[in-house]
Amino acid sequence: MATTVYLSNPALTINSVDLTDQATSAVLTYNYEQLETTAFGDTARKFGGSAVTSLQNNSFEVTLYQSYAATETEATIYGLVGIQTTIEVSPTAAGLATPSATSPKFSLVGCYLESHTPINASLGELSTITLTFTGGTLTKAVS
Amino acid sequence: MTSYMVTSDRFAGFKRGDTVTDKDLEGVDVEALVEGGHLSTQSAKKSGKTKDTDTDKD
Repeated sequence: MATTVYLSNPALTINSVDLTDQATSAVLTYNYEQLETTAFGDTARKFGGSAVTSLQNNSFEVTLYQSYAATETEATIYGLVGIQTTIEVSPTAAGLATPSATSPKFSLVGCYLESHTPINASLGELSTITLTFTGGTLTKAVS
Repeated sequence: MTSYMVTSDRFAGFKRGDTVTDKDLEGVDVEALVEGGHLSTQSAKKSGKTKDTDTDKD
């Protein structure tokens, strides 16, 4: 029977700052660009292959509650726009400190934050921001 | 080697008041951490030593 791991309570750091208690959504996408290797004689399209290494094209999207208090969301994120940083995320808080096979730690090193919305306010709602980090090299630690 | 003092409770793996060096900060943007109040360029103050310089003899 198939089993599913539901990431309902992951832990994360952005630029080594733990913002887990401000996060409501986290989506890490691991991607290698698809390179076509179809050649004459083939009867179907082919992609990749043992001798073909394409580029990673990863992304990490996170939604955070906005907070303008000292060392909170805004203070942490504002200086990251337009530069590279590192994201670490794990299915559990324990996995960030001591990764394991059942609670791995994913590190996205050298990812880029293109934009940020310092003000995202609606009447009667808690303010949230959604950030998309793109690029970078993804590694998975299980120990 | 530059060292920094941790000035927030959110800096992963360290406590407020700890000292970190460039080695601990690989892959992260230090300027953003300083700007965000998580690190200070001022290193932790050493505990003050007192020396009795009073030579008056009553």
